[in-house]
Amino acid sequence: MITCGLDLGSGSVKGALLEGGTKLLRTAAVPTRGNAANAGQQVLERLTEEENLLPGELQYVCTTGFGRYMFPARQLQVSDITSSARGAHFLHPATRHVVDIGAQSSRAISITETGRVVKFKMNEKCAAGAGRFVERCSKYLQVPLEEMSGKALHSQQPKLISSVCAVLAETEIINNVAEGVPLPDILMGIYLSLAQRAQALMRYVGLQPDVTLVGGLVHSPAMVKALEGTAKLPVHADEQGHFAAAIGAALLGYQRAQKLASGATSSSTPTDAALVSSGGA
Amino acid sequence: MKVAVGMDIGSTTAKCVLLREGEIIGRSLNPVGVDIVRDADRALQLALQDAHLDRGDVGFTTGTGYGRFKIQFGQLAVTEISCHARGAHFLFPKTRLVVDIGGQDTKAIRVNERGEVVDFAMNDKCAAGTGRFLDVCAGALGLDVADIGPLSLNSRHPVRVTSTCTVFAESEVTSYVSRGKEPQDILAGLHASIANRSLSLLQRVGIEPEVTFTGGVSRNEGMVRALSQRLGLPVNVSPLSQYMGAIGAALVGEERLHGGAS
Repeated sequence: MITCGLDLGSGSVKGALLEGGTKLLRTAAVPTRGNAANAGQQVLERLTEEENLLPGELQYVCTTGFGRYMFPARQLQVSDITSSARGAHFLHPATRHVVDIGAQSSRAISITETGRVVKFKMNEKCAAGAGRFVERCSKYLQVPLEEMSGKALHSQQPKLISSVCAVLAETEIINNVAEGVPLPDILMGIYLSLAQRAQALMRYVGLQPDVTLVGGLVHSPAMVKALEGTAKLPVHADEQGHFAAAIGAALLGYQRAQKLASGATSSSTPTDAALVSSGGA
Repeated sequence: MKVAVGMDIGSTTAKCVLLREGEIIGRSLNPVGVDIVRDADRALQLALQDAHLDRGDVGFTTGTGYGRFKIQFGQLAVTEISCHARGAHFLFPKTRLVVDIGGQDTKAIRVNERGEVVDFAMNDKCAAGTGRFLDVCAGALGLDVADIGPLSLNSRHPVRVTSTCTVFAESEVTSYVSRGKEPQDILAGLHASIANRSLSLLQRVGIEPEVTFTGGVSRNEGMVRALSQRLGLPVNVSPLSQYMGAIGAALVGEERLHGGAS
């Protein structure tokens, strides 16, 4: 059975195709651009095309992320905490602690050895500590987003940012540039500031190995290094970590479909709450 | 007779006031850049020009604001909290609560009948609810921040701004624009959101009339109205409200000047 997980995020929509709940077939992402439903449709089309799926072959679509209710062609939606936890566990089964840094929110989740959520803490009120902050920095420092991390790794003496606010930090960073602080030190300071914000959430839920980073920053080694520095633990970042929530959704969708097929559950409208029980074991 | 100089170096502008025998005889306001030392010097120069005086006429200089320690010609540095309290009490003697919304921070200051600080609360951690918030949002609307106050007064159907964070509010503004909302309605929503944030700060120190609104954001009529509505109280605003910290600093200086002479 092939299932699809769609993570409709504020920055981009991520999709994952899973076979039999165990084999990751393919992933794809498209920028959200203010229309999550449209971007979700594009991701779904791209995935089915590239995988040469025949009509009817894709059996179940499960959505997650802030836009999970905006995608009409879904069978189920799950909270991003649940899907992120499941996805991280799928990619790295030794994970007990998930750090998920998205474009507009970040969360720390502690999980069991089966990937169930034990406790979580989330920041969605403030752009500091979210990917959005890195994007803004990239814009006003005129360093392409994909080059930020590489340059930061050359830092000798990271310039720490004292402002907690993304907007006030901007002024601080611009002052640092004016004062001649080397660019790599400024960039590493940005990642360290994100790591400090994340650390506050991580400490709240309780840190324990293995720690896995998921979300758009998995391809930034500077972010991993900064997190390892503040957490004083190795941080695992998977190639496919950006798709963790989508993979988790595909997995939860698979489990749900299995249950439906075996007639174990009623056909009532699925909800997030229902999923905690159905997707639990 | 020598003058007392009050110099308020804020995050965005430098304000300078010259005081002689309790009367404001000169003032200046100019933007602050990276070189605060030079900007402070320029602020004094402009204020002296305004009063047709020169540096020889300066008797005592008091600095306030976050850049107060960078004023090289000052004799004394006083916190902006005391200075805003003093200044507000000077212009509105019945003031018991001062709301100061500046470029990068917001303060609620409760004062007694002598203009002394009883209690205060401030937000200097985050740009939400400050002048910076309005700057960013005005920018998202393609408007100059000086124009948004009058424009917002035309609002008939204010939108509800739900984001606290400036960065997220900026996106919210953009999405309201794309949904065809009128700029005045978006602005009125932003003002209401700042008034809401200020209210929680004010409640921490206790709300008691009269309320005096100071700082750069008090120049915005839309903001004055939103705050007054939210408080259910009239709000004092002086045409010199932006100079309140500098006035308070100059008052402290004048006291020193005459205290020293007698």
